[in-house]
Amino acid sequence: MAKQQTEVRDLQEGSYVMIEDTPCKINAYSTAKPGKHGSAKARVEAEGVFDGKKRSLSQPVDAKIWVPIIERKQGQIVSVDGDDMQVMDLETYETITMRVPDDADVSPDENIEYLEMEDQRKIV
Amino acid sequence: MFPGATDDGEGSHTAGETDRDGANFVVVGAPLDVSTTFQPGTRFGPRRIRTFAEPFDDYDHRRDQYFSDLGVEDHGDVRAWDNAKEYLEYLEGTLRGVVWDDAVPLTLGGEHTVSLAGVRAVEPEVVVVLDAHLDLYEAYDGNALSHASVTRRILEVDSVDDVFVLGARTGSEAEWERAREPDVTVVPPEDVADWPLADRLDGRDAYLSVDIDAADPAYAPGTGTREPFGLESRELRDVVRAVAPQANGFDVVEVNDRDEGQTAALAGKLVREFVFSHADGW
Repeated sequence: MAKQQTEVRDLQEGSYVMIEDTPCKINAYSTAKPGKHGSAKARVEAEGVFDGKKRSLSQPVDAKIWVPIIERKQGQIVSVDGDDMQVMDLETYETITMRVPDDADVSPDENIEYLEMEDQRKIV
Repeated sequence: MFPGATDDGEGSHTAGETDRDGANFVVVGAPLDVSTTFQPGTRFGPRRIRTFAEPFDDYDHRRDQYFSDLGVEDHGDVRAWDNAKEYLEYLEGTLRGVVWDDAVPLTLGGEHTVSLAGVRAVEPEVVVVLDAHLDLYEAYDGNALSHASVTRRILEVDSVDDVFVLGARTGSEAEWERAREPDVTVVPPEDVADWPLADRLDGRDAYLSVDIDAADPAYAPGTGTREPFGLESRELRDVVRAVAPQANGFDVVEVNDRDEGQTAALAGKLVREFVFSHADGW
C-alpha cells in the first residue's frame, strides 16, 4: 500500500491518515495540553476515503503514524453500463472500470476528477 | 475508575463497531475549573465522585440488577487546561467518539461549562438541566464560556429546540428576560415534582445535565455557588429516573471538594440512577 510515515503532530484537517489500515480524510483535529506528565495528545476524527466510515484516533503528538499516498486524477467517461462505467485516464489513456456512485448523474464524454490509491478509486 | 465500571483504553475507534467491547455507557471525567465564580475546586469533582461511589452496592434491589452487568466503562479523565475553548473542542471529540460507538457518555465535571461539549457531541433535541441558576448570561465578566453562560451556549447548538431548567431559583434580570423566550422553560423547585416532564419531552432525544447545586445546600454543600431553597435529593433522583430512558447523554457537574463527601456521594448515586433507569428503557 502506498503510504509514508509522519508524526501525529503534523496531521491537519483536510489531509489524509491511515486509521485501522484504512485511508481516511481528517475532518477534525484537536490537541490536549500535556501538563507536567506525559506528552500532549492529539485527537483525530476522520472518514474513510473509500468506505465512508467514521473513525477516530487518540495518540501522543509525537507518535509515528502512516499517511496514505492518494493521487488525484483526471478521467473521461467512455461508457456507462448499469452500475459500472468505463473511464479513460486522461494522463495515461488507460481505461479502467469504476462503480457509478449512488448520488452521481454521469454520462459518456463527461470529464471527472477522482482519487486513486492502488486499486481503490472514488469520484471527487 | 468508577466503581462497577471497566477500564476503557484509548486508541482508535470505528463508528458503529464495538471497539469498546460492547460498552453501553462510558464515564468521562472532565475536571475543568477555570471560570468558577465563588469557591473553586471542581477540578477535584471527577475524583471525588468516583471515590465516594465506592461504598454503593453493586446490586440494585429495586430493579434486581447489577450495575457491573450494564456495560459501563471508565475512560478516565480528559485532563483540563486553562483554555476553555480548546478544551471543549478536545472533550467534544472524546465524547463524540463515545456516541459513534453507540454508547452513552456520562461526563463527570468539572464546572458546568463542560456540558456544552456533551450537548455538541450528542446533538439532542431537548436538554433537561437541573440547576439552581439559569446560566443564561450572554457572557459573565466578558467570558462567553463561563459556567454562568453554559445554558445560553447550549441554546445555540443547532439540534437543540428546547431547554428545560428544573430547580432554578436565581438569575440576573437579563437572564430572566432571556428565559421568557419560547425555547426556555424554567420550573422552580417547588413545582418540579409535579411538572409533566414526560409530556414535555414528548419522546424526543434528550440530554440530561445535573448541576449538583440544584439540590439544596443541605444535601450538596460541596459546590461553588450554593443557593438555598433547593431540591430534595429524592426529587433530583426522580427527575433522573424520568429523563434517563430517552437521554443519549448525561453529566453531573459542579462538584468540588469543600465538604465531607456528601455532594460527591449524591452525584455518584445519580450517575448510577441514570444508568439503571436508562437500561430499564432497553
